[in-house]
Amino acid sequence: MLQVYKADSGQNKFSFKKKALGLYVQFVPLVCALAVPFSAQVQAEEATREQLLQRIAQLEKQMARMDRLEQRLNELETTAVLSDPETYVSRVEVFVDEDGVEHAAEQPGTHSVVTYQRERVYRRQTINEKIDDALSGEAASRVQVGVDAAITMQYANQQDGSDGEADGEFYQLASTDLYFTAEIAKNTIFYADIVGLSGTTPGSEIGGLTDINGYTARLRENDNQLNDLSLREAWLMTALFDEQLALTVGRIDLTSFFDSNAVANDETSQFLSDALVNNPMLGLSENGAGMAGVYDPKNGVTLKLGYQQSDSTATNLSDSLFQMVEVGYQFNPFGTGVGNYRGWYRTNNNDDGGSLSAYGFSLDQKVSAGITLFGRYGEAETLSGDDDEFFSGGVQFSDGFGFNPSDVWGLGFANTVLGNDDEETLFEGYYTLSLAERLALSFHLTYVDEEPDGADDFSYLVPGFRLQASY
Amino acid sequence: MFSHKFIVRQLLAVCIGLLATVGLSAQEIKIADPASVVVIVNRDSNDISFMDIKSHKIIGSVFLGNNVNPHMAMMSSDGRWVVTGGTRANKAYIIDVATLTLKKEIAVGFAPEHLAFSPDGRYYYQGNPDDDSVSVIDMVSLTVIKTIRGFAEPLNITFTPDGSKAYVANYGSHWVGVVDVSRHELLKKIHVGSAPAIASIDPERYLGGIKGVSNVSISNDGRYLYAADGDLGIVTVIDSREDKVIKKIPVGADPWRAFMSHDGRYAVTANNGDETISIIDLQSAEVVATLESGPEMMGINFAADKAFVISSTTGFLYVYDMKGLKSAGRIKIGEVQIETSTTDTADEKLYLASSTDNSVYVIDAKTEKVERVANVGLYPWGTHILDSKDNYCH
Repeated sequence: MLQVYKADSGQNKFSFKKKALGLYVQFVPLVCALAVPFSAQVQAEEATREQLLQRIAQLEKQMARMDRLEQRLNELETTAVLSDPETYVSRVEVFVDEDGVEHAAEQPGTHSVVTYQRERVYRRQTINEKIDDALSGEAASRVQVGVDAAITMQYANQQDGSDGEADGEFYQLASTDLYFTAEIAKNTIFYADIVGLSGTTPGSEIGGLTDINGYTARLRENDNQLNDLSLREAWLMTALFDEQLALTVGRIDLTSFFDSNAVANDETSQFLSDALVNNPMLGLSENGAGMAGVYDPKNGVTLKLGYQQSDSTATNLSDSLFQMVEVGYQFNPFGTGVGNYRGWYRTNNNDDGGSLSAYGFSLDQKVSAGITLFGRYGEAETLSGDDDEFFSGGVQFSDGFGFNPSDVWGLGFANTVLGNDDEETLFEGYYTLSLAERLALSFHLTYVDEEPDGADDFSYLVPGFRLQASY
Repeated sequence: MFSHKFIVRQLLAVCIGLLATVGLSAQEIKIADPASVVVIVNRDSNDISFMDIKSHKIIGSVFLGNNVNPHMAMMSSDGRWVVTGGTRANKAYIIDVATLTLKKEIAVGFAPEHLAFSPDGRYYYQGNPDDDSVSVIDMVSLTVIKTIRGFAEPLNITFTPDGSKAYVANYGSHWVGVVDVSRHELLKKIHVGSAPAIASIDPERYLGGIKGVSNVSISNDGRYLYAADGDLGIVTVIDSREDKVIKKIPVGADPWRAFMSHDGRYAVTANNGDETISIIDLQSAEVVATLESGPEMMGINFAADKAFVISSTTGFLYVYDMKGLKSAGRIKIGEVQIETSTTDTADEKLYLASSTDNSVYVIDAKTEKVERVANVGLYPWGTHILDSKDNYCH
């Protein structure tokens, strides 16, 4: 196609170019006279076409720009915060020489110094991230409050023996724990637990060797006082030596630290009977002021040491000193599953100024993903000379062995024989139905057989339920 | 006859060509062996650093731009490219490894985070969780050739070894997306599990927020897939041949993902809900050990017959003996926040990103000796080594 390359009307000469060949053709004025009307029309059409093409290109550019702006606006409106560059303070290790000059890397004659430095970075955060950061920062500096509330209802049905006081009676207990936790320094927390109890439990009327309802264990000074508010625990804990050693000082419950068990240690979610929550040979009847140290290098071995005042009526600590030591080991025997094995030893001052000791074991062993066996044994010196003895055992099922994946159930038994030949045998089965993340309903059936020395044997069947809420 | 303009044009083209050729050849080759470097993602300095794996010196870094905030980086299998998603720039970035230059920025969906290469290196799948999409980038043309939609907060992407399928984990749902790689289409959704019926009386737990599937881990032979679901507390086993669920394994609370041991024997889940790990025997598909760990676990690395669990906010690495399946102590990195780590191909050393002190810590897996490499960039978020078996992100 021929295109107008140059029009020089002053010289009456037109030039055309054939693009592909780069050729030029010149026409003489005579020919030109005929060509003018035709060339003018072509020129006009070409100009119009060029204008249209330019307009289309311009529109396409504008459309693309609009798309980009729309995407950008969408992004800003939905996710990004229009903010200055982010600033934060970071902990920096630098190396300082004798002249006080900082170096980023260690050099001869320098020593390491930890300092703090503000960083200014281009980090764009979303509004949600900003809000979350602010809320979590505020929450971390506040006292955290938790509530653990439970209602237990039990019925005592005597099976054997002469008519007992508890036969045919219902018992209801409401228990509320208020927890307060505050981080007061790095790796140091304050914790307090205030418990309110109201109602009755079958233990006081059955008169067994152990508590049928573990909620009241180590809290009652008098079986009839069940409408009271108690400070269960109040302590300060700090972690030292790369958090391998945890020291706890204050009013403590040593059974929270010692004689633990993965599946038989919590009356709020596992067995209800105290004989399947703790080892009676520990001999702790109440909480008191004391200290516990736990050394846990996280290699499976743990070492625990502790003491507490064991009698709140004592006028000095020396007269009521309860001391305890425990060694624990976790391993996976023959690849069957994780097992925790613990052995403990304790001494306790008595009223005669002497010291009575006891020892015991606690183990829990997984035999499959959802089945865990447990056992306890303990033996304690007595003033009468003959030792008290205790053993318990059982199994817990979880992880799909119930109606719901998070349901748990278990079967356990416990046998207690005192030095004076009093004996108690207890069986308990429970099923904990996980209603919600913070709400559980448990059904319990306990059978307890008491064989007091020099008196008639008697036994009770105690069905009951527990409604537990934690938040 | 040729006009003088034509000749000038031809000469100009030749000159430009020559200049370009000379310029390219003059670009310094900074990394000759892509396997010799540790790639470090620096979220707040908006760059990708490259550290020599032997000397632990920073070779160089590639700045991506302000407010890019890269999240994860990965090297192509041939070592030619490193790619990353700029979460706050909504772009993918292609870096030429040899010259440490930014080759191209490519617009993708909202908040690009996790990514994967197809085994042949042809396609780069970039997940865009805030866009519920995956951008498919052709590594030949370096363009987005398709955006696959229909996901729910897609996080990690896992290709089968033959490259025929990709499995996309949806953290905003309880299903795994199966993508046909030949057509880049979402083929099907595999339902990993359901909330128990009794959950209807606790709607807030499931409606208040969702912790679904963050990653689909694959067995060494590519036959089985393991998808941990946070809300359901399970690991669902999927047969990749039929894309069928064959088992649901209960683990601890809120498992983040299943990390695969290098010998192919175990999968280990980091259960942030109860601060434990669950060790699953892959042969029996059963949990064989549940062990205490720390809070806010970000990742697990394997080396020297041990597992190293990163507890982010405590600055601890929890160590486990993978032969005895028991705890084996913990390593205190410092009063820092640690993020994720990669393991070298010899399974000897871990390269752990430590965000709050701008460092990478090199941990000898056997001796557990720790060496700090400082000033690698601002807020290092993750690391990557070519052909490592522990290349993962948060």
